[in-house]
Amino acid sequence: MLHKDMLVRLCQARGMMREIGERDPSVLEVATQLGMSQYHFIRLFRAVFGETPKQCQVRARMEKAKQLLMLTEASVTDICMEVGFSSLGTFSTVFARRVGVAPSSFRESARVMVRVPGHVPKELIPGCFSLMCGQGG
Amino acid sequence: MRIKLNSIFVEDQDRALQFYTEVLGFRKSKDVPVGEYKWLTVVSPDGPPDVELVLEPNSNPAAKAFQESIFEQGIPLTAFEVDDIHAEVRRLKGRGVMFTMEPTQTGPVIIAILADTCGNLIQLYQPQPEAPSPA
Repeated sequence: MLHKDMLVRLCQARGMMREIGERDPSVLEVATQLGMSQYHFIRLFRAVFGETPKQCQVRARMEKAKQLLMLTEASVTDICMEVGFSSLGTFSTVFARRVGVAPSSFRESARVMVRVPGHVPKELIPGCFSLMCGQGG
Repeated sequence: MRIKLNSIFVEDQDRALQFYTEVLGFRKSKDVPVGEYKWLTVVSPDGPPDVELVLEPNSNPAAKAFQESIFEQGIPLTAFEVDDIHAEVRRLKGRGVMFTMEPTQTGPVIIAILADTCGNLIQLYQPQPEAPSPA
């Protein structure tokens, strides 16, 4: 049975696995902090949360990547590095597998629904408005 | 006015569908693409076919915060009635389901609490038959 204190510790472990920083915690490090073997930690984590700690970590990285793709102008390469991937190819493959589309395609479709800071590209400004605003054709 | 829909937040809709159908035994009712997500519902083969449970994505930060907060406090998100809770708990444990509470008599019901692998604790309850009134 899963006791209350273990439930709390697993939630804390999930929080640690979701952290994205310069040095993400390893599964072994988190297991050690919980005072259990890596094998036991992975088994218990998966039984409660339906995914392994590593899968949880990747999910968090993909969610962060989606946010950055939607809300910033950062390049896909920069976003790849920001969320902890060292290879653009690996990042793109994992992203496409998880989200269903390539990072650039996701950004294109998501941007339609999100107001991006900055100006509206000239291509999207009707010609008459461009003249009125002095931006030319 | 009728109650026909109940909704729970889930971490992953595909995983939730698998757990709620293949493990808990519900049946998929609606699966309609809605952008990145889907309108996904299940029904109980033991209950009314038009009472649906919506497996709703927890992508809204407020939903996620609420879900995770009550989970960590050990509070079930919802409850399902069963006829034989001891048999049901045995069956689910055999499927690898984790419980935070073994079958426990609580007033007029016996309850147990399990983790649904999608970020929720779910309560099972078995109503006890009412004691016959004295003649």
